[in-house]
Amino acid sequence: MEIKILYKVKQTAKRLLPFGLLTVLPILSACDHIDENDRLIYVEPVVQNDSTLTDSTKTITSTLRTVLLEDFTGQMCVNCPKGTEVIKQLQDDYAERLVAVGIHGGPLGFKGNATTIGLATDLGDKYYDSWQLEYQPVGLIDRHGAVNYTDWVTEVRKEMAKTSSISMELEATLNDNQITIITKATSLEGTYDGQLQLWVLEDSITATQKRHDPIDNDNVTISDKNYLHNHVLRCAVNGSWGESIHLNTNDPIVKTYPLTVDAAWEASHLSIVAFLYNNSGVEQAIKTKVKE
Amino acid sequence: MKRIILSAIALCSLLTAQGQQDVIISGSVQSDMLLSTQNEDNKQNESGDFMSNTYLDVMLQSQYIDAGARMEYMEHPLPGFDNDFKGWGLPHFWVKGKLNKADMTLGTFYEQFGSGFILRCYEERSLGIDNSLLGGRLMVKPMNGVTLKVLSGKQRHYWKWDGGLVSGADAEVSLDEWIDGLQRHGTRLSLGASWVNKYEKDEDIFVNKDHRLNLPKFVNAWDVRTNLNHGPWGVLVEYAQKTQDPSFDNNYSYDNGHVAMLSGSYSKKGLSILVQAKRSENMSFRSKRSQLGTPLFINHLPAFTLDHTYTLAALYPYATQLADGEWAYQGEVGYNFKRKTLLGGKYGMNIKVNYSYVRAIQRAWFKWGSDTYYQDLNVQMSRRLTSDVKLNLMYMNQRYNKTVIEGDGGMIHSNIFVADALFQLASSTKLRTELQYLTTRQDEHDWAFALAELSLAPHWMITASDLWNHGDTKTHYYQGQLTYNIDSHRIQLGYGRTRAGFNCSGGVCRFVPATRGFTLSYNYNF
Repeated sequence: MEIKILYKVKQTAKRLLPFGLLTVLPILSACDHIDENDRLIYVEPVVQNDSTLTDSTKTITSTLRTVLLEDFTGQMCVNCPKGTEVIKQLQDDYAERLVAVGIHGGPLGFKGNATTIGLATDLGDKYYDSWQLEYQPVGLIDRHGAVNYTDWVTEVRKEMAKTSSISMELEATLNDNQITIITKATSLEGTYDGQLQLWVLEDSITATQKRHDPIDNDNVTISDKNYLHNHVLRCAVNGSWGESIHLNTNDPIVKTYPLTVDAAWEASHLSIVAFLYNNSGVEQAIKTKVKE
Repeated sequence: MKRIILSAIALCSLLTAQGQQDVIISGSVQSDMLLSTQNEDNKQNESGDFMSNTYLDVMLQSQYIDAGARMEYMEHPLPGFDNDFKGWGLPHFWVKGKLNKADMTLGTFYEQFGSGFILRCYEERSLGIDNSLLGGRLMVKPMNGVTLKVLSGKQRHYWKWDGGLVSGADAEVSLDEWIDGLQRHGTRLSLGASWVNKYEKDEDIFVNKDHRLNLPKFVNAWDVRTNLNHGPWGVLVEYAQKTQDPSFDNNYSYDNGHVAMLSGSYSKKGLSILVQAKRSENMSFRSKRSQLGTPLFINHLPAFTLDHTYTLAALYPYATQLADGEWAYQGEVGYNFKRKTLLGGKYGMNIKVNYSYVRAIQRAWFKWGSDTYYQDLNVQMSRRLTSDVKLNLMYMNQRYNKTVIEGDGGMIHSNIFVADALFQLASSTKLRTELQYLTTRQDEHDWAFALAELSLAPHWMITASDLWNHGDTKTHYYQGQLTYNIDSHRIQLGYGRTRAGFNCSGGVCRFVPATRGFTLSYNYNF
């Protein structure tokens, strides 16, 4: 009898062995539990390695990089205001070293009708299609490929850590409904071949935007007629893809462009963005308010 | 280079298998093609006018070794897939060694633990889903009623394997194989337990300019379940949990994930009853934490809603809210009224009533959240009217929270009516017709659908259909198809247009373009 019971116990133990092994396996693997107070790691802010600022005795070969963030957005895109919130945070962190551009277009863009202002443009559609973007919101950061908005903080920071061999200056003056734009680009080291692109942006446009209410509540969407749109791309000054430029070391190129203010724009809210790019991405960018 | 290496591995696998005696070779070809005559948005498709998704599967089986490979050609893919879907190559190649109580697979493989709460690797070609693992899997049956699996690998991400390492183990024990009493009473009782671990290296995800997330490199998930069947009764209980897994899907939350399910069924001749309940929370589990869209899911939670096949009933399909979580309930009763009874009539009648309800959750386990995600009450009746005519009728009342499921659109409340009749015109000629109507005050308002399908056995089938939105856009989405079957070959030629839409998940929306053009599908099994 005892032998029989012992045999049964042995058999049962043998059969339950797989479960025993299964219990042990998770113990063998590391288990990370991160307490609430340990979820953020402090990292030194990006060191701004600018030879123009740090050493005036040596030849200047690089300068601070201003990062271009192209935000592909749309008034019908309920999630796009989440991207705008990230941009606000980045602008607080980096101020003028970040140039954000809201490119309205793509399938969720809205071009307007008789009663509602639309901010999407054919130019925005063209960029959206050319970059083969698949969803909105999505961004290009110095034109290094599509970046999801939750990764903008990380990718902008990486770009901020880089210097640039190009310095740029930009002026825009309004006179009699005509803007005169003067841009100057200088290569601090080596030659540079790329495209010079100039855009017109407008801030403080009140227009409809679909969004969550509040923005982080995905279960409720509203059509917000009083949404304030900033840094909206209005047009390209020198063609959709800019114009070719060749820079030699310390041989600045200055270009001047006239631009007539469109009747739909509010001149006091306009800015001009200039940037240099090639197949390696955007090398330098600059933004200035249009001065009256 | 990678493709050459992979091809070489696959070839070696095949040759190894061929070395065995009595090798059985089998396989299949599937090719779906679209010749676009006009893009509905007047935009040139990135893939040009001709698009195709083509799959070629080959498998060799022998006594001790099986091997297989699949070639896929999506260099000009059909519209509606991610950009990364484009490409061609040999993404599947495997060799499996078999002994009496064990088998081991090296290469790519699919697997599911339990209901798939913590691991489900599968393929769904129409959605572009293929999350197979590349690695190794060992399955052992050490004794009667016990199955043990251990695996490790990296998931397929279209044409690369760039997610974290997924490892796991699963044990399934059928107690009725051991306990005589259970067997004597016709009772089947099984216990199962699984564990899955994801290893993903650290990465920089900054929340502001000087703080980054402290990310867990290991995420563990485990699952326990029991399944009891006695006579007509069946009960399945399953629970799974996942450790901290901050990801894009859950907005980088450090909360644990949970899912619990209770399913009961009763099935006796003429009567079937199903009752299910499930609560899930933060169970989006991918092998790449920053991934969005459909790729790299390690797990899958089944939707507790009826998977409709009628076009208008499937116009607003529910998708499980993995990250947000949900309470989901489903009940179904089917009854077969016997022939020559008052309700059954001369040929009998089947009635099926299905109800499903999905709702938001709260932190407290048994409390509902405020939003209804989905509700579906449908009644289906199937009855033969004469020896040559069979009729299926369906009424469906649906509430679909488009904002939650697709990102925008509010609650859509619709009523759907379906009449499906099958006429036996001659011994080898059948005509099936469908008339469907969906009425709603929301979204694109009312839709109508009509279909006629003429089968001329054994080779031919002619189908014509029109999906018509007459509530808003007044657009017709018509399709005509001619199908020819011979032996194991099936070829289908069609012309039609499809509607555009948005595929929204996880906080972003992807546009699926409308198309118009000729379609050609070819299937062959050998």
